[in-house]
Amino acid sequence: MGIINYAPKILDPIPGGKYVVNAIDYVVNWARANSIWPLTYGTSCCAIEMMSSSMARYDIARFGSEVFRSSPRQADLFILAGTITRRMAPAIQMLWEQIPGPKYAIAMGACTISGGPFIYDNYSVVRGAQNLIPVDVFVPGCPPRPEALFHGLLTLREKILKETCRNPWQVGEPKDVSTMDRYREAAKTWAALEEMKDEEMAEARAKFKEENPDYKSSFKPIRIKKEDFPEVERVPFKRMGLTQSDIYAKLKEKFPAVTVHTHSEDPVEDVVAAMPADRPLEVMVTPEDYLPMVEFIKNDASLKMDYLIDIVGIDYDDHFDVVSQFRSMEHGHKLFLCLQLKKDFSIPEEQRATALLAHAPSISHLYPAAEFKEREVYDMFGIDFVGHPDQRRIFLDDDFVGYPLRKDFTHPEMIRRPV
Amino acid sequence: MTGMLPPGFRIQRETNTEEFFINMGPQHPSTHGALRLALRMDGETIVELVPHFGYIHRGMEKQAESMSYLQYIALSDRQDYLTAIQNNLGVVIALEKGMNIGVPEKAEYIRVMLQELGRIASHLVFFACFGGDLGGQTCLLYGFKEREMIHDILEEVTGSRLTTNFFRPGGSRYDVPDTFIPRVKAFLDHMDDTMKDYERFLSKNIIVLERSKGIGILSKEDAIAYGCSGPVLRASGVNFDVRRANPYSIYDSFDFEVPVTYNGDCYDRYTVRIAEIHESMKILRQCIDRFPTEGPWRAKEKPVRLPVGRYYSEIETAKGLYATYVVAATTGEKPYRIHTRGPSFPHIAALNKMVQGHKISDLVTILATLDPVIPEIDR
Repeated sequence: MGIINYAPKILDPIPGGKYVVNAIDYVVNWARANSIWPLTYGTSCCAIEMMSSSMARYDIARFGSEVFRSSPRQADLFILAGTITRRMAPAIQMLWEQIPGPKYAIAMGACTISGGPFIYDNYSVVRGAQNLIPVDVFVPGCPPRPEALFHGLLTLREKILKETCRNPWQVGEPKDVSTMDRYREAAKTWAALEEMKDEEMAEARAKFKEENPDYKSSFKPIRIKKEDFPEVERVPFKRMGLTQSDIYAKLKEKFPAVTVHTHSEDPVEDVVAAMPADRPLEVMVTPEDYLPMVEFIKNDASLKMDYLIDIVGIDYDDHFDVVSQFRSMEHGHKLFLCLQLKKDFSIPEEQRATALLAHAPSISHLYPAAEFKEREVYDMFGIDFVGHPDQRRIFLDDDFVGYPLRKDFTHPEMIRRPV
Repeated sequence: MTGMLPPGFRIQRETNTEEFFINMGPQHPSTHGALRLALRMDGETIVELVPHFGYIHRGMEKQAESMSYLQYIALSDRQDYLTAIQNNLGVVIALEKGMNIGVPEKAEYIRVMLQELGRIASHLVFFACFGGDLGGQTCLLYGFKEREMIHDILEEVTGSRLTTNFFRPGGSRYDVPDTFIPRVKAFLDHMDDTMKDYERFLSKNIIVLERSKGIGILSKEDAIAYGCSGPVLRASGVNFDVRRANPYSIYDSFDFEVPVTYNGDCYDRYTVRIAEIHESMKILRQCIDRFPTEGPWRAKEKPVRLPVGRYYSEIETAKGLYATYVVAATTGEKPYRIHTRGPSFPHIAALNKMVQGHKISDLVTILATLDPVIPEIDR
């Protein structure tokens, strides 16, 4: 509040001056509490509820907060709507520092309070906004309803009204991102408390039994009868384009090494013919056949796989599977190519976590869509795509250590889900 | 520009003017979330664009490996939160394929109706944000007004406004209340009139026409090559809708059209979505007429355990093709790996192609008509 904070120093020595100070407090706080301008910031689901709250039905203007400012320099309130990731954390701290004081922060939603649904087995989510910036009000919910956000706003209003010239707003300390282990400590303390509680309860129960040996509980559980539902036969969706057998025969003719992964003893042709209509054919391809086969299915007139749906990586003990999913826009059939890549175990064991363990040919010159998908597989699995024009990490920072979707991935911030 | 370019930029060109770089995002009102775009500018004109993702990468796929299948349905809500109810169905269909169970007729109708309501809700947000990004705050207010009516219906049926977590293998969590059909009917009657208002706002507005016609053209070949789907693909002249191309649920029994336009510019992407709202309303009306009042609303409840194998499902959400790929390596309640293909990711990949040669203010229009949801890209 700047210069007004000096009012008590000047006015208090004057007889009756403190009444003037109180009057100044009243007027200033009335103005501040009724015009809290939030920053336009939102990362995920909570942002939509924040938008809903400012629209016609809920009308945040009733509380004087309708002016969403796009520039942090004009804002008073930072509504942290949506999950905060480690990559976003520096941006949030920067935004917070750009907001001129007195400034306030509302942590909206479970993610910004504790990590919410992303608390366990997660390597990228910051567990709570209070690790980054000082937060005034927490609004629980996933996502909170607009009414809950309003309750948070009104709570903040009360907090603002309590501030005076004598006890002005203080800058909170921005926190360091690296000090997030307190959750593990808290979990340990919590477990100890639970144990203590269990012991006490057992003691109390024993004591109660001693004092009332003939006590019998009158509690009877009520059983609600479950509704009976019939078993329904599954009807496969309609097939479009060529059948799985036709596609398989075509590929087998051109590439004899092609197989289909099955667990049964029957010949592959029978397994393919017995597939339900809505199940796409997935064939196993050797790395040598991969690029010619992609070219073949793209250019062949009856197959014409011109649309790349996705590229998926799967990690197994000794190999990676890279499944490229294609569909034909014209005919409507789909074909999945499963490329099996043996892991390169010649790399010393201590370097494996950070090394590229396999190499695959890139198909980004045939399908421009593959460029970003291959970058994703590279980022998550550490598979090198030979011939990729721009192979960089896509979702994680360049200095991130390890490849998260490998099964043996470890991260210091990851907490295992308790079973 | 000669010399070293920042990572991602590739075009080599000789100019007399000095090029400069602009960083847009990750916190920017018109990037629709935490998306960062690095722009290489020649004056006001965009030379090249490099998107940077990952600002809302939440590691859902890693998390899913330690979750049960049912828990993942709740995570799928948080991918594309505007079409949460549709994402639920995408995951559930993949699980049903694995469990090999069917769905009774009434449950299918509930599914289709909620799908179409979700589609209208998502397109209304598009309408609101498109208008808002062009500077028309009125559209923001109007788009969200009708959306609240859908949220009321969703809340009554599923118990939640946004993150619904509603469908289950074999049906859904609950039966619909008796007020469901009258409410949808009332909503449709109201929407019929309101759509006229909506179209009067933007469809023939001279500012919208000037700013969106001929802007951000995506050719048919590029749209397919980049893997675009949904309204973006249909605006480029490709008649592809999963509801027609590979019909799931009971979509093949409805009479509706797939709106297709051929210019591939921003205005076409807008008109396709407006036409889709009309088609969704058509499907909803047919559902109301044929809705079975009798009969079971779900199949027999079974533990969700998938046999070893790989299961794939695809549905058409409001944004486009949403595919789920489930890998079950052991028979059990936990997936070995779940991968989601969201429709927005390829759209942003194609953005570089669309914006080249346009002014920076057009980028906002183009991005608004792609209607991306960033958490679904990053997952």
